[in-house]
Amino acid sequence: MLKCFGIRTLFKLIIRFLIVELLMILEFLQDALFAAVAAIGFAAISCPPKQAYPYCALIAAISHSFRFLLMQNDYFQLHIVVATTFASLLTGVLAVILSSRPRVPAETFLYPSLLPMIPGIYAYKTFGALVMCLYHGTENAFGHYFYLFTSNGMTCFFILTGMAIGATVPIFLMKRISFQATRG
Amino acid sequence: MKTTATTTEPRSRLSAKEASLFLATYADRLFSSGSTVIRLEKNVKRIAASLGMEADISILPHYIYLTVRDEGNRYSHTTAISIRGGGISFNINTALSRLSWDMADHKLDFEQARIALTHIATHSGALNSWLLAVLVGLANAAFCRLFGGDFVAMGIIFVSTFAGYLIKQLLMERKVDYRLVVMLCSFVSSVLSSADGLFHLGTTPGQTIATSVLYLVPGIPFINSFCDMIDRHYICAFSRLTDAIVITCCMSAGLLGGMLLMHEGMF
Repeated sequence: MLKCFGIRTLFKLIIRFLIVELLMILEFLQDALFAAVAAIGFAAISCPPKQAYPYCALIAAISHSFRFLLMQNDYFQLHIVVATTFASLLTGVLAVILSSRPRVPAETFLYPSLLPMIPGIYAYKTFGALVMCLYHGTENAFGHYFYLFTSNGMTCFFILTGMAIGATVPIFLMKRISFQATRG
Repeated sequence: MKTTATTTEPRSRLSAKEASLFLATYADRLFSSGSTVIRLEKNVKRIAASLGMEADISILPHYIYLTVRDEGNRYSHTTAISIRGGGISFNINTALSRLSWDMADHKLDFEQARIALTHIATHSGALNSWLLAVLVGLANAAFCRLFGGDFVAMGIIFVSTFAGYLIKQLLMERKVDYRLVVMLCSFVSSVLSSADGLFHLGTTPGQTIATSVLYLVPGIPFINSFCDMIDRHYICAFSRLTDAIVITCCMSAGLLGGMLLMHEGMF
């Protein structure tokens, strides 16, 4: 009886674990897929050579899902600013390393791959809070919206700074690869 | 284009003037296509070295000054060229970078390079307008999903971005000021995407509005300005950063106009 109960509980636990893990994996894959689609579309705006598109999608998928992992896992949850900086650093390194295969400048991959990490919601909230500050003259309401403005604005600013520094530093650290990528 | 020569040169071999004019055109095309200053400087110096000359370049917000000196500094020529601007094209950027290496590796002589430069400058590699609008629409819809938007929000974003991007292309063809174009497109996209909240179509109207204008974010000028700043090209970095901030302000103004018109709340 006890043995049977133990096996059943164990079985339930395993099933629950698998479902949770499966959901996590699905969310992870969905994140990578949408980042890749976004990268291809936004890459098209800057007219890259045709062979660059798959690389843009690949780098965006890897870097965005890497940020997802850094922010949402069972062991540690990094702050969005730190996670974005690390993910952008990975984007930069991948862009430089992979740029010599299709013989394009590393910058070709950078913008489309970074764009899915742009803090759009924070920027929107910052802007919204600023407008609400102007609308509401009372001290309490103004204070509340000013708090929203500064907290969202600071997060947005530091994410953007982390992104820009993280993505561009590899170009300078690996100058030899970066500027010889287009050599035939 | 303004040019100044310091001395009269012999006619038999490639003159500093010819090299200077070629390099100034090259620099303008590369800069206009969205290159960073460090890449521009390296490519120009590489080509100059392949021609047996030295080049120094100075970039101002509207002009590029380029001085070419021949071996032994006997003759020099300075060219000032106004930056033509135009759309960012990594296809041109890549082709021009390859051209610099082909010249450095002596795969092309000067005449061939001059023909190649003219050819490259006219091939931006831009996709068909409709296809581009569909791709950008899909990208922004995917972007909306990444921000937590539901599938209804994604559909609305696709339509609003598609419409906004088509209008952008139409106005750009008519040479309308880019800042005005961004403001109008942002306005149109935000008005269309406010349908989500207005008709209670989906559960994430905030994400819909917030994502609707993100296809107008001047990402490349922002990234390039940081690249230039790290390489200590501060004037160019601040010029690009200011441009990007102005575009962002225009985008925000369009968004605000759209939200005010549709009485869309922010919080």
